[in-house]
Amino acid sequence: MKRRVVLALAGLITFVFLMTGCASDVVNESNSSDNGGANAGNTDSNGNASNVEVDIYQFKVEFRDQFEELIRLYMEENENVQFSVQTVGGGNDYAASLKSQMASGNEPVIFNIGGPTELEEYREYLTDLSDTNAASLALDGTLNGVEENGAVYGLPFAQEGYGLIYNKEIFEQVGIDATTLTTFEALEEAFTKIDEKKDELGLDAVLALPASELWVLGNHLANHYIAPEFDNNILTAFEADSISFKYSDQMKRMLDIQNKYSVQPVLSLDYSMQVEQLFSTGKVAVIQQGNWIYPTVQQMDENFASNGIGMIPMPFEGEFEDHLPVGVPQYWVVNQNSSDEQIQAAKDFLDWMYTSDTGKDFVLDEFKFIPAYDGYDADRIADPLSQDVYKYSVAGQTIGWTFTATPVGWNEDVLGTEFQKYLSDHTSWDEVLEAAKENWENSRQ
Amino acid sequence: MRNKEISFWLFVLPALFALTVVVFFPFFYGFYYSFTDWNGLTATTFLGLENYIAAFQDSRFKDSIEFTIKFAIASIILVNILGLGLAVLVTQKIKISNGLRTIFFMPNLIGGLILGFIWQFIFISGFDAVGRLLNLPFLQGWLSTPETGFWGLVILNVWQYAGYIMVIYISYLQSVPEELVEAAEIDGANIFQRFWRVKFPLVAPAFTISLFLTLSNAFKLYDQNLALTNGGPFGSTEMLAMEIYKTAFFRYEMAYAQSKAVIFFILVAVVALTQVYVNKKREVEL
Repeated sequence: MKRRVVLALAGLITFVFLMTGCASDVVNESNSSDNGGANAGNTDSNGNASNVEVDIYQFKVEFRDQFEELIRLYMEENENVQFSVQTVGGGNDYAASLKSQMASGNEPVIFNIGGPTELEEYREYLTDLSDTNAASLALDGTLNGVEENGAVYGLPFAQEGYGLIYNKEIFEQVGIDATTLTTFEALEEAFTKIDEKKDELGLDAVLALPASELWVLGNHLANHYIAPEFDNNILTAFEADSISFKYSDQMKRMLDIQNKYSVQPVLSLDYSMQVEQLFSTGKVAVIQQGNWIYPTVQQMDENFASNGIGMIPMPFEGEFEDHLPVGVPQYWVVNQNSSDEQIQAAKDFLDWMYTSDTGKDFVLDEFKFIPAYDGYDADRIADPLSQDVYKYSVAGQTIGWTFTATPVGWNEDVLGTEFQKYLSDHTSWDEVLEAAKENWENSRQ
Repeated sequence: MRNKEISFWLFVLPALFALTVVVFFPFFYGFYYSFTDWNGLTATTFLGLENYIAAFQDSRFKDSIEFTIKFAIASIILVNILGLGLAVLVTQKIKISNGLRTIFFMPNLIGGLILGFIWQFIFISGFDAVGRLLNLPFLQGWLSTPETGFWGLVILNVWQYAGYIMVIYISYLQSVPEELVEAAEIDGANIFQRFWRVKFPLVAPAFTISLFLTLSNAFKLYDQNLALTNGGPFGSTEMLAMEIYKTAFFRYEMAYAQSKAVIFFILVAVVALTQVYVNKKREVEL
């Protein structure tokens, strides 16, 4: 009796397994029969029997819905191409999952890379895109990180920029003109002024330095004083065997100022506290961030986002005074191991996205990107922060984003961590620089 | 007889197949990769023990081992004390003891990530607010120093696992024969003597189990670590699992991370095997 029950149970489980196996088969079949149908339709209208499937593996979660919408539009126009999009987390999660995707042999046709460091890693996978229309229209410097011997391996997503974002109303009340704050003295004077009046302005502190976010310290703040050392050129940084920290005094000064006037303790402040809890609600007047915070601020306070904020560069004394760090966060790349039809379809799509009218509308209005290509109407850029970034970009007053070209993990894992130690008095400034220099040299041996 | 054998293999095969594909294969591959310069995509040269030698000279790796051991010791002691305390409390004849059991066990049902974020909020905002109100400076700025980061993790872990360990102690406490306790009572033993002299020795086997459960749990902790401190400030609260993850996916040194993972595996295996050995020995004794 008992044995029977066991057998019956085992049988049931096996049955369930088989069923699930079958079920997924059924789905696949229906899919492929759908494709078959579309295919047949194509043969009739275009006389083109081939149905190209293109897998896109992309990282930008924020624009997934809009991006899929754009792809749907594209597929309506081009019925012989079938796109499927997979979106995977931001930042490091993407890099890790892309790697396992590649290793598993299930390689996507279109994917994203961050800059020269990843270019090196994925070199054997990348197709030369220099014959695309988009590549020829890309703005000066935006291809800087992915160009090699005349070949262009990636197409920029968009441009982004960061600096000091300030609350216009508070600046007005205290009587500060943000455009004059290009030197350390002017900035410190302004901060002191705000600090004196912080009670009547309802501020917790002048600014918020989210020192628990390694990228805010190690990537962004540091880069402002590292990029000029490498002539703002990503490739120079990528090839450098050592780093001298030529502008380290200014870097230290900027870090000290931010720490001094920040809400404390800085080491437990994170991005969401900085942007949502403190800046959006008017509890601090200034934060060091980039144009990507706009949607978040908009969600918190629509009016404040569109009228109350602006961006200025961090101070720099010398050649690059009043320059804003502008760069390309990610590039689109096409997998060389795909079939020729897939590669062509991928190129056509990327071209269409950045150079056709429908594509341009999407880039500006739906994606809310700062275009990295020529031929866009600058007035239509969505938000004030992006407009500020674009303004500096057009004027050529930009500093490069060299943190995509430093040794892997150096900016966050080494420099960012050392900055944290410095901020909590666990190490001296000289030791910070020493450790960072040594690590750079070791990785570039 | 033959028939039985065939059906045996038929039933074992699916599980064995799945296990081979998702556990054994990756395990041996990983072991092999740890001797190469594998970067996640290709392995070109065989390095021998180079990765292992580097791992033992890596100060961050050593720091994380040290931190993990410190964390394990602190949380083992506290989890067991608290777990036993709670078990004694809920085995008293009080009306709400069933309700209390549920409540104490509940934290264990919440995922580690969520717990981490909840406690992050409590430590950073909650503690801060209370500290300001009562003017207690030590409640302010939690998680921003290595010490508070350490204790934050310990508190979170103790809070989560005490309820689980409590259940184990309850089962042993309840199996203590009532007549022994009564006999002791008649002999004039007071409540403390009854606990220390009668119940405690009989509950002792539970210690072995709880000890190793908490130990291996403390060693393998990752999600709470990620959500609460993410290794910060400046990497001072990075536990072993996280250090390995960061080596692999932040610094992209896949083969190197793999060799650390093998060391990690050996550490955890030693702990687990000792547990099995000690438990077996005890079973014989009893």
